[in-house]
Amino acid sequence: MKPLRSPLAGIRVADFTIHAAGPFCTHLLSQMGAECIKIESRTRPDAFRKPHAVYGRMQAATFDQVSANKLSVRLNLKLPEAVALAKRLVAASDVTAESFRPGVMKRLGLDFEALARVKPDLVMLSLSSSGQSGPDSHFAGYAPLFGAWGGLGWMSGYSDGPPVEMRHVMDHSAGMHAALATLAALHQRRRTGLAQHVDLAAREVASAMIGDALVQASAGEQPQRPGNADAAMVPHGIYASNRPDRWLTLAVRDQGDWLALQGALGRATTDPRFASAAARRAHREAVDELVGAWLRECDADDTARRLQAAGVCAHVSWNMQDIADDPHLRARGALAEVSAPDIPARLAVGAPARFSVTSDVGIRRLTPTLGQDEDYVYGELLGLSRAQRSDLESREVIF
Amino acid sequence: MPSVDNQPLAGCRVIERSRSVAAAYAGKLLAAMGARVVLLEPEEGSALRRAPPWLEGSQESALFAYLSVGKRSSVCDLRTPQGQADFVLELGEADIFIDDTPLDERQACGLEPESLARRFPELVHVSVLPFGASGPKARWNAEEVNLLHAGGEGYLLPNGLSNELFPDRPPLKIYGHFSEYQGGSSAAMCALAAWWAVPAEGGQYVDVSVQDAVLAVGAFALQRLGDGSLEHRTTRSFRYGGVFRTLDGYLELLTLEDRQWLGLVELLGRPAWACEPALADPLERSRRGDAINQHIRDWMARHPTEHIVARAQQLGVPAAKYRTPEEVVRGEQERARGLFGPATLASGREVEVLVAPFQFRCTPLLRGGAVPALNEMSRETTA
Repeated sequence: MKPLRSPLAGIRVADFTIHAAGPFCTHLLSQMGAECIKIESRTRPDAFRKPHAVYGRMQAATFDQVSANKLSVRLNLKLPEAVALAKRLVAASDVTAESFRPGVMKRLGLDFEALARVKPDLVMLSLSSSGQSGPDSHFAGYAPLFGAWGGLGWMSGYSDGPPVEMRHVMDHSAGMHAALATLAALHQRRRTGLAQHVDLAAREVASAMIGDALVQASAGEQPQRPGNADAAMVPHGIYASNRPDRWLTLAVRDQGDWLALQGALGRATTDPRFASAAARRAHREAVDELVGAWLRECDADDTARRLQAAGVCAHVSWNMQDIADDPHLRARGALAEVSAPDIPARLAVGAPARFSVTSDVGIRRLTPTLGQDEDYVYGELLGLSRAQRSDLESREVIF
Repeated sequence: MPSVDNQPLAGCRVIERSRSVAAAYAGKLLAAMGARVVLLEPEEGSALRRAPPWLEGSQESALFAYLSVGKRSSVCDLRTPQGQADFVLELGEADIFIDDTPLDERQACGLEPESLARRFPELVHVSVLPFGASGPKARWNAEEVNLLHAGGEGYLLPNGLSNELFPDRPPLKIYGHFSEYQGGSSAAMCALAAWWAVPAEGGQYVDVSVQDAVLAVGAFALQRLGDGSLEHRTTRSFRYGGVFRTLDGYLELLTLEDRQWLGLVELLGRPAWACEPALADPLERSRRGDAINQHIRDWMARHPTEHIVARAQQLGVPAAKYRTPEEVVRGEQERARGLFGPATLASGREVEVLVAPFQFRCTPLLRGGAVPALNEMSRETTA
């Protein structure tokens, strides 16, 4: 078999992450070729192996995106022998990733200092809601709380309404930033041979999404929630079309766009309130009313295509079915069809980008069953005999 | 002690050509980790220098300040022979080239990946475009509002309380440039992955799409579609929990685990409705979510945010105040962690800028710096 050419081929990750943000980070690394060993136990299996009632999922997931590509081993970290085995796994890996609440890894005896003793050039990622330091570091949280703490939730919303809660995109954005920082630490290790502890606070990722508003706030200003409006572009927003719940997003950047919009729609206005970008900014509501009336009679999909042909930024507000049906995303490999003997063909998110040389990126295998890769991990990598493993299993160390 | 030499990406040399937030954010993230990032700008300066929001009084872009602290600036017009010569010199010393030039303009600027790969075989050339550089929509153009909706997340917003209050309004974008930040984060990540492979594989061309990145972070909705459920903003609310109005503001509350639910019951003062034996079952709580939320709303509206949040955290109940940007900038947690650094704008004005949303505990990041004046590098050379 031809060896895979992936950018991170040869990198191994000991993956202790839980929930969504941490597992998405290691999933991204695995998509780019890292070998990722997911560590769970029968007593503390990953969330996707259980019902998730608050999300309305009443049974285990059949396919879990963030677990795809990963190898699975069982390890009952409550027992000292399991902790010793975990350290051997860390020593055999390039990266160790975890997303427990700060303090948990230390209680387990698996904190950075302890692991750096067995792996002097350890690259460790700790991903948490508020970071490893500071008065809030012990806070528990999920994606909507990251958005609330970080200010992104406050700044998002209708101008006259409440703040808006962020969902999984917030977790996964934290995970992507974590993958980036972890790669930087690997480069640093390559250059210096030294260990590094990456500390990612998901709420700080939410803050990074309002970095401009935070600059304003630091200058004593009080940034306001803009809703769908843009300070420079008018018209700008999300407009109803001739079909219910089929919305057109539109951003008119300059005078050329404004004229092209009218041409593409077969409309024209000589109203001086709309004659220049500055005039339109001064009469936002009137512009929105006019453009809204034009677009209400249009087919959103056809109009988006015509506007794009005229160079105007437009796109239909797509639901997931639209995305699943999109030939562009499929052609790019951003959407991948996956299947397994017990999983009927379905779509998953594929390669994060197209690499011209190390082009083997994306999903190679699906959600692992608990402990399915122990022959390789415990047998081949750590050199445990079948008898040793049976003994550890009987004493619920490997469990 | 932080120093230029001990930063994670010390020695990494990046050339950035950006007019989009995505490409500029990729450069910002690499610069924050110690890479030397040179921003190549047209004569009139990057369009991002004029992008909103602007600081009151000065019309300086707060967005550009955020995205450019720590970068260097050099004017380079690729349509001129001199610009081409300068560009080749810069690229000859670079490890990573980040570019968001639209496809139709690349040939005229000498930016085609094949020719750059021939001349610079060890270069990581990262293209960052709204819909990527390949595929039937590669030439489509888009701003943030289009991209958030092309990637699927826009259609799902707002959910929860905001959707309940305004069910007939159009969907809502996330503040600012959320999609572009995902594209930029993905571009920086892929750049470092490709750079990692250089010793074994040489340089390469990496084609990043902002739409792809939005879809990637929204993967859960695609997973739900595969499970047979098409998500919609009106139905993807949490069964219970979410945004609550308090006596003096808003907070977020979310209990996913049994022990957190028990803590919430305690927080609410063990009311009779919450102590019903049937509610010990998480599936039953899920079914009765609307009724539970109504009880919680009534209670929240009578109590101040800080009091609720402090008590909730004591009880292990995940709850957070919806904080304003001013509160984030002044926040004790952020101050303790040194999230912000001092930055000097081109006008000389001092502001604070978020350094990076991650820390390196063994070699802390340098904080703050200057927003580069246009072409300050060549001014230095000629001075």
